[in-house]
Amino acid sequence: MFLVALFFSILIGVFIGIFTYRNPKFAAPVLNGLNVVESVPDVALLVLLLPIFGIGTEPTIVASILYSLLPIARNTYTGLSNVPRVYIEIAEALGLTQREVLFQVRFPLSLPLIAGGIRIAVVFTMGVVTLGGLIAAGGLGAALQNGIQLYDMGTILVTGAWVGFLAVLLDGIAGIIESTLKARYGTWS
Amino acid sequence: MVITVEILEATLEHLFLAYTALLIGALVSIPLILLSLYNAKLASLIMRFSNLVQAVPSFAVVAVVVPLIGIGFTPAVIAIMLRVLLPLIKNTYIGLFNVDPSLIESAKGIGLTEFQVIRYVRLPNAYPAIFAGIKFAAILANSIAVLTALIGGGGLGSMIFEGLTNFNTTKILAGTLPVIAIALFLDFSFSKIEHWLTPVYLQK
Amino acid sequence: MTIKKLFDRVDSVRLENITKKYGEQFAIKNLNLEIQGGELLILIGRSGSGKTTALRTINRLIEPDSGTVSINGADVREFDSVRLRRNIGYVIQNIGLLPHLRISENVGLLLKLEGWNEEEIRKRVRDLLTLVSLPPERFMDRYPHELSGGQQQRVGLARAMAMDPPLFLMDEPFGALDPLLRTQLQDEFFKIKKELGRTIVFITHDINEAFRLGDRIAIMNNAELIQVGTPEELIFSPVSDLVSEIVDSKRKYRHIDTLKVGDMMQPLAREDTLDPGMSAESALDLMVRKGLEFAFVMGKSEVSGRVCLNDVLKARTRGIELKEVTRALPLFSSDTTLIEALAKLKSEGESMGLVLEDNEPAGVLFSDRVLQNLI
Ligand SMILES: Nc1ncnc2c1ncn2[C@@H]1O[C@H](COP(=O)(O)OP(=O)(O)O)[C@@H](O)[C@H]1O
Ligand SMILES: [Mg+2]
Repeated sequence: MFLVALFFSILIGVFIGIFTYRNPKFAAPVLNGLNVVESVPDVALLVLLLPIFGIGTEPTIVASILYSLLPIARNTYTGLSNVPRVYIEIAEALGLTQREVLFQVRFPLSLPLIAGGIRIAVVFTMGVVTLGGLIAAGGLGAALQNGIQLYDMGTILVTGAWVGFLAVLLDGIAGIIESTLKARYGTWS
Repeated sequence: MVITVEILEATLEHLFLAYTALLIGALVSIPLILLSLYNAKLASLIMRFSNLVQAVPSFAVVAVVVPLIGIGFTPAVIAIMLRVLLPLIKNTYIGLFNVDPSLIESAKGIGLTEFQVIRYVRLPNAYPAIFAGIKFAAILANSIAVLTALIGGGGLGSMIFEGLTNFNTTKILAGTLPVIAIALFLDFSFSKIEHWLTPVYLQK
Repeated sequence: MTIKKLFDRVDSVRLENITKKYGEQFAIKNLNLEIQGGELLILIGRSGSGKTTALRTINRLIEPDSGTVSINGADVREFDSVRLRRNIGYVIQNIGLLPHLRISENVGLLLKLEGWNEEEIRKRVRDLLTLVSLPPERFMDRYPHELSGGQQQRVGLARAMAMDPPLFLMDEPFGALDPLLRTQLQDEFFKIKKELGRTIVFITHDINEAFRLGDRIAIMNNAELIQVGTPEELIFSPVSDLVSEIVDSKRKYRHIDTLKVGDMMQPLAREDTLDPGMSAESALDLMVRKGLEFAFVMGKSEVSGRVCLNDVLKARTRGIELKEVTRALPLFSSDTTLIEALAKLKSEGESMGLVLEDNEPAGVLFSDRVLQNLI
């Protein structure tokens, strides 16, 4: 569930980032729109998706994606737009086409920032997926809810600690990937 | 009619819960920030811890409060506070410290005391970051105040979860819509204030 | 893999009535300039005088408001701008190596985009790095930030040469380097330039660099071209005070009209001269052993002239005598005035003359060294 959500978030988020970069007049409305989605409480978003997707994993995945789009799309857009002029100029002067400039220069140089966005998305996705337990998406969230309802301290503590550990671990892995990319591509940022 | 009153009451309860927690969070964060200003070790510890905790899902934080403190209004306030405390501290700290070092040097050079440097150089420079932290915390508090209904915090969250267990759509919507309205209102009004507060020279 | 070339060689680059304005301000104003095939033309002038703007109209990074740029008589607007740029090497002061690509990938980027295969690219990159004095095996796999400024600039040069373009545009390529390194790179660049024999437009703000490298120098000021000419022309007949100020002739060449050939000649080493009766074989042997590019041919009393290595090789293969390939040299006495001597060298298209004292060869006058010794 986590991986599926993350996969689609990255796919769609990066696509939106590239799209808004290529069509700047859409950038403000699209990113502001995603920003509004972002401020809606996660429980509320999940609940609103219930009539459309029923209960279970689908609304959880969709909610995760909706949350994760903003950081990924925004960072992709910012990264693509802010590559230092000198690299763009030299690439153009060497005779790269606009397309080649985008994919050979701008995109790779934006990777550290995009990875930063994905790292935030990892945290968001983890949060929403856990919450999914409340609407029958199963997983660790369900265990937590059971624990609370049965007032079972052991279950709550163990599951809570495990969720926390998993989240910190995933965030750490994403962080390592991010800083590796920074070291590799990010001498300018 | 009955439901309107119920919504109003729940909304007030929700707001009271969320913003009591935010206020306490803000009050607690001030001494911690001042401490970390003078202690680099503590500062880096707080930053690390805050980054770690931010990765933990809210639901897990809320749940873990139960075995530690119990259920009810106070544990709910504490859960929310724990969650908003770290972004508040982190943003303020970043704002205070991302000041051009030469600015600090020249301020000291013209004879400002340590306190005056904070008051007249660091603080004005940190406003946008502090403000962003408050905005983030306010929206976060609204969001977690829904979850804390699970541990007896009451408010709009209770309506939503009751609705969910009874498959009562009206009740679900009655809880959800005000929560979203609050979120949108916060986002909108904070953006407006942010625009006023940003110094002219930083606006593009 | 063949490169689709727009032109094999450049015979001329012509800028005609070029004007470019930013707002109300002229960046270049009615510029007329012709760059001849095979020459290195220097653009020099104060910062903001329009050099970069002029340079960039050539590869269409900037489209002028009016006027035309043509290469070999063809308007550059007729070419696809991407194609055009792939046929023109471009080097800039801040180099702009792409930080995410290894050195080999930076140099080979265009080759890859042109569809060369891995092996061809690697071979070409090796050759190019060797040419700019970077041992390929040590540098191919590094990233730009692991290189020093001078090394990065060499890579920038290699990258510009990847497609073997007949024309280079260079915008203060050595401007950011410290003076010592700059001199070294200038020397190496000078060698490469001679080897490749390409047409080059080169911007600098350093008059010494201009004199060292330039065949001709174009001086710009306030968006306008003030004077174009060889270093000698600028020094001896500046059109305005500004030109004299830039070439600094007032201070440095104040004494030039009082100088005599004897003051500036280089002593002649007798043992480096060849006898007219020598066989081509032994002449070649001597020259190779001493590392001479050229040598003077002279008998006991009379002087025949000079030969270069190439001539001697020719003589050997054709089996003719040394004196048949010997070229006559302008002769000066050591009290000829320097100005007169330089004018004579120039009119005869020679780069050196022999100086006689009491009818005995005493020294050599090299026109380019005269200027270099003076600055
Ligand atoms: N993109 C631009 N926008 C506005 N003005 C420019 C731009 N590029 C150059 N200029 C102006 O045009 C003039 C010539 O610039 P440039 O050709 O870069 O000079 P140089 O290379 O001789 O230092 C300068 O006054 C500069 O400020
Ligand atoms: Mg310039």
